[in-house]
Amino acid sequence: MTSESASTPGIDGDYEALISTTDVELLKRAWRNEKAAPEILHFESALIQRIRGQIQLMEETVEEFSGSGIDPLSVSLYQMDLDRTQYLLRSYLRIRLQKIEKYIFHISNNSEVQSRLSGQEKGFARRCTEDMERHLEESVLSKLPDNYRDILKQSIISEENDMVPEPHLDTFVVCKSRRFLGPFQLDGSDELLEMKPDDLCIIHYKSIRERVQEGEIDLV
Amino acid sequence: MYGRKAFQLVKELASGEKGQLTPYNSDLFDQVTAECSQHHLELQSLIRKIQEEGLDVQTTRNSEHYGSLIHHLALVRNKRCLMAYVHNRAEIIRSLIWKVGPVLPQEIQERLSHTEEEYFKRHSAALQSCMSRLDLDLTVDMVPPKDPYIQVRVLDDIGVVLSDDKTTNFARHSMHFLKRTDAEQFISRGLMEELTG
Repeated sequence: MTSESASTPGIDGDYEALISTTDVELLKRAWRNEKAAPEILHFESALIQRIRGQIQLMEETVEEFSGSGIDPLSVSLYQMDLDRTQYLLRSYLRIRLQKIEKYIFHISNNSEVQSRLSGQEKGFARRCTEDMERHLEESVLSKLPDNYRDILKQSIISEENDMVPEPHLDTFVVCKSRRFLGPFQLDGSDELLEMKPDDLCIIHYKSIRERVQEGEIDLV
Repeated sequence: MYGRKAFQLVKELASGEKGQLTPYNSDLFDQVTAECSQHHLELQSLIRKIQEEGLDVQTTRNSEHYGSLIHHLALVRNKRCLMAYVHNRAEIIRSLIWKVGPVLPQEIQERLSHTEEEYFKRHSAALQSCMSRLDLDLTVDMVPPKDPYIQVRVLDDIGVVLSDDKTTNFARHSMHFLKRTDAEQFISRGLMEELTG
């Protein structure tokens, strides 16, 4: 895999130099991982920033091309490519926001998970928590007797927060590794698993969680 | 029997069509909260009896203790059912915000309680503010694109719409060739349909 990225984007340069296929591939991979993972993953802020810059460049190029007499078929192909990249970007951000909405109390009580959010996502998460707390208090909790008014605990005698919906980390996911992974132990069993590149495996997400985060294994 | 009414509330949730809201059952909801207050009163009077007999509340294991335990457990179960009811409805409301946008059609709005309407408005605003800070509309582009432009037929009278550089009259039954992202919001509200093939 080549590692060049669009570092000198000249408008009159080659179109291929404007779209770094590596970056779009990276975005596709990040999007796939995010889609398949039950929990929210680390925000790829550098990648997203580059992609947004490239999308802007592509839009300007397409506008120029469509006015300059290049045949409409080529223009619509470039437009198609632009649309596809934009879909990936939007879907990536959308999936993350929806995960935040779904597991809002888990996220606001867990600083490790919070560190995976971007700045804007943190702001969104804060507002979601406030809205949800207010909604639950007004509809349910204000009508209940005193010791039972906590949002996260069932009652005042609960020892820990026992009413927080959490992502199911033991769902099965389909994954593959990009290189040879030596035998490693699966969570909760004595089996050792070896993974060859491009082998597809179906495993508990929990067992491969760290490797996904480090980029050794991709979800499909 | 304790917990029957709360069970009915949750059953209503489970038996409705997936993704659809039934009208907010405030009657049943209030009955369950009344039951909770009742449980609490019984619980308190039983605890008081233990204290009056001079026994330690934490460690006594007599019939009053077990009676109060049952009331406590019934209360907590009712609480879980009520929270589940509100929580799951809120989830459906959020999915509607993604699908339909910040304005709800009348028939859905009638099924929400007053607090749910407030939640809807507040959450829509939160989403809008997040998207405007990102400078991206995330409610379009919901399916992977096949064509940049699609043909649509207008189902309901939308009237004259100003877009980008031109005004178009979207009269009923007229057909148009639009950019996919522009047409999406009309399609998701059922005002237009995509013509395939």
